[in-house]
Amino acid sequence: MKNTEKNYFDKVHVWGTVWNYIALVVMFIVPIGISVLLKSWPTLSVLGKVLVTLIPLYWVTAIVEVATYVPMLGAGGTYLSFVTGNISNLKLPCGLNAMENAKVRPNTEEGEVISTIAIAVSSLTTTVVIAVGVLAFSKVFSSASSNPTFAAAFNNVLPALFGALGASYFIKHWKLAFVPVITGIVMLLISPTMGVGILMFITIVASIIGALVIYKADFGPFLKGLSKKNK
Amino acid sequence: MENFKSSTGMYAIALLIIAFIVAQSMFFIIKSWKHGKELGIKKETLVNTVTSSILFTIAPAISILVTVFVLAKALGIVLPWIRLTVIGNLAYETVAAETALNNLGGSLSSEITDPVQFSTVAWAMTIGAIFPLTFLPLVCKKLQKAIGGAVNKDEKSAKVGDIISASAFIGIISAFIARAINGCSTQTSTDGIKLVTESSGFISISTLICAIILMLLFTLICKKASWGAKAEPFAMPLAMFCAMGFAVLLTKVVPADISGFTWYTIGEELKTLL
Repeated sequence: MKNTEKNYFDKVHVWGTVWNYIALVVMFIVPIGISVLLKSWPTLSVLGKVLVTLIPLYWVTAIVEVATYVPMLGAGGTYLSFVTGNISNLKLPCGLNAMENAKVRPNTEEGEVISTIAIAVSSLTTTVVIAVGVLAFSKVFSSASSNPTFAAAFNNVLPALFGALGASYFIKHWKLAFVPVITGIVMLLISPTMGVGILMFITIVASIIGALVIYKADFGPFLKGLSKKNK
Repeated sequence: MENFKSSTGMYAIALLIIAFIVAQSMFFIIKSWKHGKELGIKKETLVNTVTSSILFTIAPAISILVTVFVLAKALGIVLPWIRLTVIGNLAYETVAAETALNNLGGSLSSEITDPVQFSTVAWAMTIGAIFPLTFLPLVCKKLQKAIGGAVNKDEKSAKVGDIISASAFIGIISAFIARAINGCSTQTSTDGIKLVTESSGFISISTLICAIILMLLFTLICKKASWGAKAEPFAMPLAMFCAMGFAVLLTKVVPADISGFTWYTIGEELKTLL
């Protein structure tokens, strides 16, 4: 790692941490503001009951998601994504697509720059689309989204998005595609409602194991080097 | 009090959130752009990243907007707008709101008229979602250093890093492809039965195949045509929009019993295929 690289990554972590904690404060302004405005605070026992259901569901997934997204999106992209949300269905594929187009890879300074710009632009675009939609088109969109014709398009955004994104990867790495896709299908046959965070973690692990087998010759010296380093 | 869900105060909170998101995004764009130039990344590459990211985002953002309107029936327009602008996520917000309302004896299918219920939903949505923000700064640097250090050490490690990155990317994409092939979503009814709310089937699989074929076709055209390099960033969003259009076309031209086929029957109790 070059010296400038070290400095830049360190700076991104400082910026990310500061924005992250400001975001935490801003997030709490929402329920506090609502409770103050309405002079209505939730009953702790009811809120506790709701959180007992939600926390195991989302906090465990959050740990898996952090471990999955940091290596893919880089520091800046991850800090931004976790504040602005919609990661798996928007920020992640957007960051991956931008790095693919720019022909840079993650965990390099170039990858960090491209991924961060893509995710920040995506966050701004989403904010604008939602704000304009809410303020100007709420009546039109409400009827359009419930119209069965348009509903078919809106209900199939993810197959369209990941089909197109998948094609650009599969064309280059077709050998790697079989194991994770089949693993995903089998997992859903066993547990059809498995959350995407957990399913993604399983298919990533399956994909890397598949890659280890297919590219045994490349991985051998690398793994030996790692084990020596650990000793 | 009946309009409390879209009062001026609520809009003021929404504006504050939007201002924060814009400020944070602009900060990172400016810093990254500056550093990109220092690294010698061409201006054209940076501009292409911006253009293709805008195009890429439009369709999923419209789909997020639809979720705002779905939640608006119960929660008013402003709270879902705020929630889907920060941390929000299509699946998470719906489940969090529904769980909170079920505990209060309500549901998303009916409008909230009680301010206490409304503030409980807002608190539940927030606390449920904030966990990553509390621990991300503690692990992000260590995680990135460990991975970056291992894969950027030398040329051989870089090649392994490329393979791991590609296989992890494909792993992510595969999860969504599998869900388009045989996934489903459920909602638990008041008597504890898992009812199917969404299921993959004929249309989702056809849309997926259409998107793959179109993307391969557009990639080929971009490689062969003299203007191909300039058009490349637009290939993905175009394939995505065309595939969504294809889904609409199928529902119009294919008989309803075929186009409406899903692996799991919507509205009925979930029965696994195995």
